[in-house]
Amino acid sequence: MKQNNLIKLIFLIPFILILTGCWDLKGLDRQVFVIGIGLDVSDEKGKIDITYLIANPEVGTSFAGGGTEEDTVMTVTMRSPDFLSLRHSVNAAVAREISYDLLKVIVVSEELAKDEEFIRFLYSAEKDREIKRNTYLIVTKEKAAEFLSKNDPKFLTRPHKFYENMIQRGIEVGFIPNSELHHFFRVTEEDANLFLATYATTNIRQKEDEYRINEMDALAGDVRIEGETNSANFLGAAVFLEGMMIGTLTGVENRIVMLLHDASSITDILAPIPDPFHEDYELTVRIRKQHNTSVEMNVHDMPSKIHVTLPLTVDVLTDPSMENPVDNKKKVEKLRSTMEEFMETKIMALVEKSQKEFKAEPFGWSLYARKEFKTLKDYMEFDWMRTYPEMKIDVDVEIRFGQFGRQPKTPSYKGIRD
Amino acid sequence: MKQNEGKIGIRDYMAIILLTLGSKISDDTPTLLYKTAKNSAWISMLGIALLSLIPILFLLKVFSVHRNKNLHEINVHLFGKVMGNLISMGVLLLGFSSFVLDTSVYVDIIGSMYFTRTPTLALYILMLVVCGYGAKRGIESIGSAAWLTLFYLKATLFLALIFAFTKGNLKFIFPLWGPGTLEIAKTTGSKLSIFADFYYLGIIAPLVSSFKEFRKGTLWAFAIVVVEITAALIIFVILFDFTSIEVISYPFHETILYLSIGFLSNVESMFLPFWLVAAFIRFSFYLYLVVTLFGGIFKIKEFEYLVPVFIVIVLFLGIMPKNLTYTLPYLREMILGILSPLFFILPILMWGMAKLRGDFKREAEQSH
Repeated sequence: MKQNNLIKLIFLIPFILILTGCWDLKGLDRQVFVIGIGLDVSDEKGKIDITYLIANPEVGTSFAGGGTEEDTVMTVTMRSPDFLSLRHSVNAAVAREISYDLLKVIVVSEELAKDEEFIRFLYSAEKDREIKRNTYLIVTKEKAAEFLSKNDPKFLTRPHKFYENMIQRGIEVGFIPNSELHHFFRVTEEDANLFLATYATTNIRQKEDEYRINEMDALAGDVRIEGETNSANFLGAAVFLEGMMIGTLTGVENRIVMLLHDASSITDILAPIPDPFHEDYELTVRIRKQHNTSVEMNVHDMPSKIHVTLPLTVDVLTDPSMENPVDNKKKVEKLRSTMEEFMETKIMALVEKSQKEFKAEPFGWSLYARKEFKTLKDYMEFDWMRTYPEMKIDVDVEIRFGQFGRQPKTPSYKGIRD
Repeated sequence: MKQNEGKIGIRDYMAIILLTLGSKISDDTPTLLYKTAKNSAWISMLGIALLSLIPILFLLKVFSVHRNKNLHEINVHLFGKVMGNLISMGVLLLGFSSFVLDTSVYVDIIGSMYFTRTPTLALYILMLVVCGYGAKRGIESIGSAAWLTLFYLKATLFLALIFAFTKGNLKFIFPLWGPGTLEIAKTTGSKLSIFADFYYLGIIAPLVSSFKEFRKGTLWAFAIVVVEITAALIIFVILFDFTSIEVISYPFHETILYLSIGFLSNVESMFLPFWLVAAFIRFSFYLYLVVTLFGGIFKIKEFEYLVPVFIVIVLFLGIMPKNLTYTLPYLREMILGILSPLFFILPILMWGMAKLRGDFKREAEQSH
């Protein structure tokens, strides 16, 4: 009996060989990993210039022990009809099999993004099984190939970590939108709203009078950051309508969109706003959203009305005028009213921009409109995109004060100067 | 047949139903529902569940008076030798066809989503050999295998759905009535056969330890499966929205490819093995049902030897349709369309015949 079992066991051993899979076998050491794909316009119709950002798997690992002098990344650019056939064409120059398993970003130059044909190329991403829907879409001011090769971070030299951390942090603080391909496809197919993609550039303006428009109320490349740091800026958003780029939003505008949109997971925002007590200075506030935006909608009147209430908790963290608003009820009220007014004008300016310039909205309000209709047919007939630009929209910001810094009181300026 | 002499308990029986019906959310069943009912697929699912309850209750009523007969034997008993055999043959043919189609759907999923370079034939052979082995081992083995893996399978599925839920936006289920009540009703009617498996479960009815357990197991498993499928249908919609969900062929797999849990970005490799195990158990069971029914009709006592023959036939039929991706949904819909009215009418007919023959009366007299 025992011997019988042993024989059976021996017969089972060959099955272990089958487990590795005969056809889809891929050795880790026989692939190279593409972290980013760059797409650029080419002179030839029906084709685009595609750049691969390929990571060197041997750099930064502990067993390499710093012994290798190899570069961390390399870029390859080729002309191709799509990024599927390219996987093999590139093998003319790259030694190993191309794998998209670690693909993090698809970088598109502004020039291509503004092209009507752009979605034809991007949609092949939905066909390839290795390209995941959680890949991020980035739009660059310069050519994507230039961006990928010029971007050379000081730390985080392993590119997959750099892009992952850069984008995640950017989304957390609200400077860039969450631009997963999943959302791009969903919004494009829904065909009612704007999609926002991360905007980035390595092409930073050098002339003094051109940068610093208003701190972060700017696009990538417009803010000058001194010192030796990453050569790329990630700031602001590229606006897509029907799969085509039609404009941009600044970092602050993007934050406003994220504050208004319930689906975005922005945690907190640190931002400077004008000090109501002293015109030369700015207060830093931390803005948190603790409840969902409430959106009341009346779609049955023409033009439709939307009333948005945005409940915010604001921590006033600095007090450069040294006025000690905490003590004084009147000052707190003044602070509240100026802040609400300031934010409402900012928000309304953006809403107006979306109605006039983009003629569609990125705030996710169409989802509230859906609730008002019983069937898809009614909703389609209402035609959100056509009705949105005419809608009457007003936004109310309701501020609740949280903390006033670690130590709420400061000595008064006059008291010290005495 | 040696291995079949034993019976299975309610635990194993429920595990089998939960696996076979529960894994419908991971094949193209959701797509078929979304195609016509759009974002209201979950409402039509509830409709299907409500309507399916009628034939299931009638079936249970009929089985309550024929506790030692399986589906085929009851058919012969109720409709006479000729009609009974004919009905069983029809049922067998449809069951066999859906078995072939279901396996090709699974092979298509594996081939197009995971193992893109492996030839379809190899995948098909591998799958059928494993399932054939399972089917040959008999219902007891299938039952205990199902019970053993049930927890892990459902736990991973639950995890995937929870993560998908957190990524989605609940507002996507509006407008609530989607394409309109008429379209929802139509979908309900034509896709009723999603639960036709319950009719086929009659084949193993006498193998469940007691009728009481059979009834209890059936109804409980039915309730759980309905909740599970409905929840999955809602979650796919809130993740993909109604426009994208129509173009996605296998929403479950698209979901696990999209998800990333914390620092783990390629989590599909975590879900795939469990899903494969579920598929093996599911098709072992189907194959077992088909072979048992065949053996019953043609009076073949040792029907376990039919398994290899059936595997070969399924293999040839399964790889026959060219362009799997395009022909499969069409054929699947056709089979579902034929099965739907049958699934609804046959149990009622059976009950009617039993009533005419006075089976229920006799039962009542016996119990007094």
